[in-house]
Amino acid sequence: MASPQDYSRRAFLRKLAFADEAHLGTVNKSLVCIFLRGGADTLNMLVPYGNDDYYKLRPNIAIKSPSRGGPAAALKLDDLYGFHPKMAALLPIYREGRLGMVQAVGTDNFSGSHFEAQDQVEHGESCGHSLGGGWLGRHLASRSIGQQTPLSAVAIGTALPESLRGAPSASVLNSIEEIKLQAPDGQSQAIAKALAQLYGSEVALLAEPSKTTLDLLGRVEKLQGKTYHPANGAVYPDNAFGKGLKEIARLLKGGVGLEVAALDLNGWDTHFFQGAEAGLQADSIEQLANGLAAFDRDLGSARGAVTTLVITEFGRRSYENSSMGTDHGRGFTVFAIGDRIAGGQVHGPLPHLTRGQQMDLLGPSGLAVQFDYRSALCEILVRALDNRRIENVFPGFKGQEIGLVKRAIV
Amino acid sequence: MTVSRRQLLKIAALATASAGSLPLSGCESITSSASKWLGEGIPAKVGVASGAAVDPDFHFLSRATYGLWPGDLDYLKKLGRDKWLDEQLNYRQIDDRACDLRARRFETLWLDPGTCFEYKKPVLRDELVRHMLLRAVYSKRQLYEVMVGFWSDHLNIDVGKGDAIYAKATDDRTVVRAHAFGRFQDLIAASAKSAAMLIYLDGKENRSAAHPTAKNIPNENYARELLELHTMGVDGGYTQGDVYEVARCLTGWRIHTPWQRGKVYFEPSEHDDGAKLVLGKAIAAGGGEHDLDAVLDIVCKHKSTARHIATKLLQHFVSEEPPAAMVDRVAAVFKKSDGDIPSLLRAIFRDEQFDQFASTKIKRPFHFIASSLRSLAADTYAHSSLTEYLNRMGHAPFQYPTPDGYPDQSSYWLSTLLWRWNFALSVCSNKVPEVTVQLAELATAVGALEQDKSSDKSEESEKNESFHRPGTVSSPQLDRMFAHFVGRLPTKLERKTFFEYLAQSKKDVRPELVGLILSSPAFQRC
Repeated sequence: MASPQDYSRRAFLRKLAFADEAHLGTVNKSLVCIFLRGGADTLNMLVPYGNDDYYKLRPNIAIKSPSRGGPAAALKLDDLYGFHPKMAALLPIYREGRLGMVQAVGTDNFSGSHFEAQDQVEHGESCGHSLGGGWLGRHLASRSIGQQTPLSAVAIGTALPESLRGAPSASVLNSIEEIKLQAPDGQSQAIAKALAQLYGSEVALLAEPSKTTLDLLGRVEKLQGKTYHPANGAVYPDNAFGKGLKEIARLLKGGVGLEVAALDLNGWDTHFFQGAEAGLQADSIEQLANGLAAFDRDLGSARGAVTTLVITEFGRRSYENSSMGTDHGRGFTVFAIGDRIAGGQVHGPLPHLTRGQQMDLLGPSGLAVQFDYRSALCEILVRALDNRRIENVFPGFKGQEIGLVKRAIV
Repeated sequence: MTVSRRQLLKIAALATASAGSLPLSGCESITSSASKWLGEGIPAKVGVASGAAVDPDFHFLSRATYGLWPGDLDYLKKLGRDKWLDEQLNYRQIDDRACDLRARRFETLWLDPGTCFEYKKPVLRDELVRHMLLRAVYSKRQLYEVMVGFWSDHLNIDVGKGDAIYAKATDDRTVVRAHAFGRFQDLIAASAKSAAMLIYLDGKENRSAAHPTAKNIPNENYARELLELHTMGVDGGYTQGDVYEVARCLTGWRIHTPWQRGKVYFEPSEHDDGAKLVLGKAIAAGGGEHDLDAVLDIVCKHKSTARHIATKLLQHFVSEEPPAAMVDRVAAVFKKSDGDIPSLLRAIFRDEQFDQFASTKIKRPFHFIASSLRSLAADTYAHSSLTEYLNRMGHAPFQYPTPDGYPDQSSYWLSTLLWRWNFALSVCSNKVPEVTVQLAELATAVGALEQDKSSDKSEESEKNESFHRPGTVSSPQLDRMFAHFVGRLPTKLERKTFFEYLAQSKKDVRPELVGLILSSPAFQRC
């Protein structure tokens, strides 16, 4: 039986725990940004089965119409569109109205270069007008609420993505268990002190990353050593992408102040034999869809605060090439999941699908771009993440209304 | 150190005999002792820099090698930079048997692509990575190895793509290593016909009229990267039309399968043999496989290529933002020498501005690992316990996904500090499995342990003890140890930090001190 003294002590401890959480939990909106590297062929993900030209231009790699039935057919969304059959796991989220798409989004970069286009998308800038830092970095920097932690921004992987450049702090990791200092005799405190002193005197480049790293070490110690069990029976795919999403869920639910997480999924540069309902691209699509569905399920009640964005650097051409793949194109489809997303629909009409052979010599053709990609990013930052200084993130840019994100009820 | 022929035969006999009967570790321990005879050990006495600023010769070696092996600085000072460069550029004359003993053990590196198909992919990948790291650490042909690394990035092939891994060892031998010190255009020509590159950038699928509905739509992937990354640079002045025309010129290069699997050939029926126009220059119809040479003649001799390659080399060897005048000078050498790589390297290392850039670059993770092992004279066979650190820091050879190769910009690598610290602290305490360092021997050689002149054994061992008992490292000892790794004396603050750390330490301080030196910002720089 608990004595009154015990009770008060327990209450006091609980209060302490809450206080700690309150400090960490000042973040109530988070963004998970998934970048499909290589230029994803979104025409075979959000399949325009109702368009005859789609089948004429892609005799070998088109996804079959839902009316054909069977496991190779698209999963019907409406009279024009269906999902790739490997995206079945996302159908319930679409039907709930929490998964929405924007058609024919793109940049003003005609180079067809992966690196220029990726950099441009990640930097959030116009072609040839460098802004410094990445769009997520500037978003974080513009929210000077003084509560940022080394875990405000996390990139899963081994290198900081361009989009997070300029963030006040960003950490790169595969699993939070990795984050510790391996001091020879367990004297990590003394080592950390010595390192802080050595790096503190650095004037350029190395001082900041060192400080960030040392801060992070102290921070994550608290989350370590516990086995993580995904909630609601969520099962993540057993691959790097699934594991990455699981770590993000763990951090989000751990209340360490994670505001922005970035995660890459590679392998979308399907010049050669990309396949249709099965094959190279289908494998990537399956990883993406099953990963996102598990993540959404695992987040459970926490998902109201989380918006997930899926983006790439450019779409691919409407027509297949001689090696049954697709070459670099222009517009692509943006996918977004969240309670604030106006989902269950595709925003923007499907542009005319054309071979556009003449255009090829001028610049990569494909879907004509109808929305500047930053219009989508702006809506997400302003309406889903409450950014009040969007002009600091995209200076001089005036976005188009898309309607991807619902307006907050004032 | 010279080794007599008889000694060498003895070593070879030992190594051969052991390979069949002993477990690998036994073979390795014999190789390790043999390697010491061949000059892989620590010299009895090692000179170190003694100034407050980085020694210019130390700077020179930091850039021209994967780090200074104990004794390298003395050797350079004895020889002079010009002679050192001559010797390095004449790399075939350098006796590299000690390194060969460690690195030639990987049989898949000597096989053609067809035979590599007999092996599992992880085996091939591990051998490629281990070979690259072991050569970087142990080869005496250091500048050559640095250039092998440079061209491997420049002509990046991610072995994770398709079947590229089966052909990468051949690419390494016949493209990168064969032409690392050759003529630039020969290097590019070899790369264009390399099976691994044809797989990685889809060149093997680039054909004309192969598909009835896709007539004359080439696969542009390789053509684009050839112009954007390998030769002219993204602002080199080519158009999308040029990319298309180059792709047409390169149609028809295929790879045999299943017979002579992995062998590259030219298939005339899949080549677009019409007339083309590349960068304003006409290529007549009917050129067949010679269209490739015609294209390379145009793009490799283009002034943008000279600038692009000069800039990239200078970014690697001198500064992320090399002075425009230096770029001009090296680009001029490129044009004058028709892309003769040794001439470019001479121009860079002899440039009047070269010495201005000491310790302005941050080592990339591979360089950090290699230079740690070299300056420690570590004994390793690059097992996974070691190469895992490269994976962790995102810098394992041949595994960068996109064709631009691992970035040469410091800012890209700044989030790797924690792994660097952990590697440094672990390796110095001999806690990276299967990597051994002999800090006592090193400390004696650099004079961080006073050498005992008396023959009294007990007194000597007592003095040896004094180095690693807490609080007993003298300032000159610390200075010499630090200078060995960094090329200058520690600053007041650095010295103070090390002594403060040592003062609270309870056990053998040597590994901790050296671990801290390798963790310090000074050692991240080069």
